[in-house]
Amino acid sequence: MTAPDDSGAPAAPGARPSKPMEVAVAAVALAGFAVVFLLARGIELRVETGGIDPRWWPQVLGATGAALSAVLLGRAVVGAPARREGVQEATRDGRVRTVLVVALAALYVVAWPLAGFVVATPVFLAAGAYLFGGRGWAALLAFPVGLTALLYLLFHSVLEVPL
Amino acid sequence: MTVFVDGIAALLDPTVAACFVVGLLVGTLVGLFPGVTGSMAVALASGFTLTLEPVQGLAVLLTIYVGANYGDRIPSILVNTPGTPAAIATTFDGYPMARQGRAGLALVSSAMVTTGGILLSMVLFVTAARPVAQLALEFGPAEMFALVVFGLAVMVSVSGDSVLKGLIAGVAGLVLATVGRDPITGDARFVFGVNDLNSGLPFIAVIIGLFGVAELFDQLLTHRPHTVKPLSSLGRWWPTRSEYRQMARPFGVGGVVGMVVGVVPAAGGDIAGLIGWDRAKRLSREPERFGKGSLEGLTAADTASSATLGGSLTTTMALGIPGDAVMAVMIGSMIIWGIQPGPSLFTRNPELMVSIAGIMVMAALVSLAISLVRTRGIVRLLDLPNHYLWSGILLCCIVGTYATTNNTYTVWVMLASGVVGVVMKRCGFPPGPVVLGLLLGPLAESNLRRALLIDGPSSLVSQPIAAGLLVLALLALVGPLVGRARAARRRAGVR
Repeated sequence: MTAPDDSGAPAAPGARPSKPMEVAVAAVALAGFAVVFLLARGIELRVETGGIDPRWWPQVLGATGAALSAVLLGRAVVGAPARREGVQEATRDGRVRTVLVVALAALYVVAWPLAGFVVATPVFLAAGAYLFGGRGWAALLAFPVGLTALLYLLFHSVLEVPL
Repeated sequence: MTVFVDGIAALLDPTVAACFVVGLLVGTLVGLFPGVTGSMAVALASGFTLTLEPVQGLAVLLTIYVGANYGDRIPSILVNTPGTPAAIATTFDGYPMARQGRAGLALVSSAMVTTGGILLSMVLFVTAARPVAQLALEFGPAEMFALVVFGLAVMVSVSGDSVLKGLIAGVAGLVLATVGRDPITGDARFVFGVNDLNSGLPFIAVIIGLFGVAELFDQLLTHRPHTVKPLSSLGRWWPTRSEYRQMARPFGVGGVVGMVVGVVPAAGGDIAGLIGWDRAKRLSREPERFGKGSLEGLTAADTASSATLGGSLTTTMALGIPGDAVMAVMIGSMIIWGIQPGPSLFTRNPELMVSIAGIMVMAALVSLAISLVRTRGIVRLLDLPNHYLWSGILLCCIVGTYATTNNTYTVWVMLASGVVGVVMKRCGFPPGPVVLGLLLGPLAESNLRRALLIDGPSSLVSQPIAAGLLVLALLALVGPLVGRARAARRRAGVR
């Protein structure tokens, strides 16, 4: 099957294949499943029955995952790095923006119970909009206050979720 | 007859109508904004619907599902950017048509064949779901385990470039499902003294994180301002009689492809659209026009991707195995409402099946009506700045997740899943198998252990249905590998 290529689409650059990344990811997966296997062996049971007990399935999964990860690691070390079709190249600004958004979201989740939904949410929205390039009263005042009011009305008043 | 009347009567409640309108509005908008996928929107909306009654909640989620199938065609045709992955093939001929001054014709034709595709697929749901469920009711533990393995295998085979990475993702999902109490003995596993973990990981939070927040983070990472604007000249709207005739054959081809792909677990509109477009091109008298603004190409792609909906519903409701990514998310919501999709659903809640079919048909017809009258105005929404969209989505994810348990612990799980999800996406690990593993893990484990304890390992190969499903699972995993090896050999031969 061939997709047409003369559509004039704005082509976003695809992410470059990366051998170190492939090796690191496979190694992390291998280590993770090995930990699962070991933790599964240490599960405490109220009644020891042996055989197919509650430890058995997590151990099977840990071992299977470790075996698959080992194959992935071997391929990553020996073979060419996999193509990253469908993944676009990250920008420098994008990395900074994403880290800041994760930090902002974490801060909001901490501040919500302390300051209350009605106070913390407009501040969070205004900060988010600013971070994403919004400027002016509509983006930094009207939008945060309006969306906060809408969500408060929907969740607190209509759905009776204590915010 | 009573079942039918009860199912339809449940839809006459005014609150259901309100939910229907909200879902349709959200679905259309979701489809319209590139990057906001149907599964992301349904995951996000699931947080809002958990306090509703099942029919109300389904009215919201199913109409989003349907509405997104209309909205996503608009940016595909006007700015060459698929609103959701299901509209990728729409860009092949939709955008060239728009550049030729036939955007209005493309939009209207697309809406009509999308409606036709959905209605056609609902015939499949109405006629096939019950017999499939009755067959599945005969399943014992070995068959149920094999069915889950089959579902996971197909999800792995269709949801990424690497089968190996898909398998690892699936196993990771099954591992996550073991957190909490053992499904048979009730012993605590991987709880580490944290009380909240006793009931397992909150799967709605994980789903919102992996599908919604991870997608948002990925857009933040890769966003570049681009200058393509929606076209201002849309041209004529209605097809001529000869154009209707031209659409008939690709509609049939797309419909068949869509229904078959829809029934396959985990395969959705994106795959069906591409296959439908390709099949129609091979069968067309004018294949050279495909990709250059062919109405046949547009018809085949949109019919195929929309005709998957009924098939996906059939697999989900009759077998409890998600027909596509949206259905995986919807199963999570249904479990929270106390409804376990699967064969027994047809004996316990038969009227719910009628309500579901009714919601889907109404949503398709109303969406068509909206598509035919509103397109000019809604096109302007494509210019909405990202800072509103991104901030709003993130906040809705957070608040929606919080609403599932009224506990910020769930929000932390969602954020962590979002970070893990974006790392997985960028490293080539598909999120679908993780979610499927998490949802179906307890079913797989309890049935496998029962099968082994009752009849021993031989039950997995001596029962014909179980053995058949396991063979199909193996073929689903091996098939793509064989296909890729053949393609590589062909390429080497050409050189």
